[in-house]
Amino acid sequence: MAAVSILTLALLIISVILVLSISANLGLKFIQDKIDIRVYFKSDVEETRIMAFRSEIQKYKEVKSADYVSKNKALDDFKAANAGKPDILKAIDAVDENPLLASVNIKAVNPEQYDIITKSVENSTFKDDIASINYQQYKLVIDRFNSTIKTIRKTGAFLFILFSLIAILITFNVIRMTIFNHGTEIEIMRLVGASNNFIRLPFVFEGVIYGCCAAVIAVILLFPIVKIVTPYIIGSAYVKVIEADFLRYLVFIFIAQLFVGTALGIISSLLAIRRYLKI
Amino acid sequence: MIEFKNVKKIYSGALNAVALDDVSFRIEKSEFVSFVGHSGAGKSTILKLIYAEEKPTSGEVLFNGENITKITSRNMPYHRRRIGTVFQDYKLLAKKTVFENVAFALEVSGHTNKEIQENVPQILDIVGLGNKAESYPHEISGGEKQRVAIARALVHRPALIIADEPTGNLDPISAWGIIQLLLKINSLGTTVILATHDKEIVNNIKKRVITLDQGRIIRDHSKGRYAI
Repeated sequence: MAAVSILTLALLIISVILVLSISANLGLKFIQDKIDIRVYFKSDVEETRIMAFRSEIQKYKEVKSADYVSKNKALDDFKAANAGKPDILKAIDAVDENPLLASVNIKAVNPEQYDIITKSVENSTFKDDIASINYQQYKLVIDRFNSTIKTIRKTGAFLFILFSLIAILITFNVIRMTIFNHGTEIEIMRLVGASNNFIRLPFVFEGVIYGCCAAVIAVILLFPIVKIVTPYIIGSAYVKVIEADFLRYLVFIFIAQLFVGTALGIISSLLAIRRYLKI
Repeated sequence: MIEFKNVKKIYSGALNAVALDDVSFRIEKSEFVSFVGHSGAGKSTILKLIYAEEKPTSGEVLFNGENITKITSRNMPYHRRRIGTVFQDYKLLAKKTVFENVAFALEVSGHTNKEIQENVPQILDIVGLGNKAESYPHEISGGEKQRVAIARALVHRPALIIADEPTGNLDPISAWGIIQLLLKINSLGTTVILATHDKEIVNNIKKRVITLDQGRIIRDHSKGRYAI
């Protein structure tokens, strides 16, 4: 059926947009969680001094958390991270003293605040104790994500409006034909005093049924489409995350499709009824 | 029961055809009135104005004192249920049986199954089709089809039956049978308005005849004859 297939197309477009923007948002959050500032202290700085730094930095309203990583903890982490590489482990054992530095890992409330935090750390009274500040530059990735999300939303909204209009037009036409085909029936209903809603309702239902069918078909088609399309847009690194989340959002997407599909169907029927069903 | 006050009806279009020109008359309750005249004289227009299919260009149409030219589309179904309509082309649903065709009129106005099961057979007996309830329209004769249409018109127990050329497609014997049925319905107290151009039928009815010509009433006799 023309009406159902074009409605399906419109719904597919809106759901692909939904999936992509949800996934892109999740990917963004996933990256943002990994960003932090590491402040390394010179090896002769006392632990109490570092703790003083930590408690001061925690007072900033931009700071979400500040975790202290001691020299020993850093060594353990390092060993754990290189567990499969005996050369490195041997080399580190060969050094008498723990070569790693103690650090404080700072996470900001908002990714835009890392610059400010870095600057204030650099200018603080602790600046002579600090060996180095390591700010992981994820800015590029984040910017890429943000612009991807914006593009998805813009082109998506445009395509959705375009296809919704086409879908409404085609469904409108199909329902118009149904109204013409039932001319005698409608005439008789009017003559024997059927209430206006009794006459109109079947045609509204027709629109609703088209919308629901389209939603079901669209949700079935959606899974393979998302699987094929996502890697090209977001990069294969995040596909695993997205697939997991996609399943979680499937119910939500299906409800959205049902809602939009039914709405498009009803709009089409009401337009056709208004225009062609004389009561 | 029905009153036309200076009703004028012009069908707008290229020709602006004048269908009714300053028509006034009254029809009392339980009357049997025949409208006669040539095609295009305005018979059907008068009937359409009564069941509010058309609105007059000017003038008033009163039904039980109520001006039906001002009826809202919301109240239209209730107006239509007070009137039974019968047409030359029967207007039956081909895919429904005789019983279902009659029941349809009750279904669309929200009657219960029980009411339908009680009423429809009664009405079919009145029109003499008690034994054809399960037949389809294509299986019965023209006269029988028109009886089904009359049964459907009667099922709401309307105060008025409007019959627009009900015998137009029937042979003289079936036609007279339909007219007798309408007379019987009238004798039970229902007002009947008949539009026809069948001279013989009109002369045999011996009831009120209103003659129309080019949208005007040219004659209105209480025991009328067809004379144009």
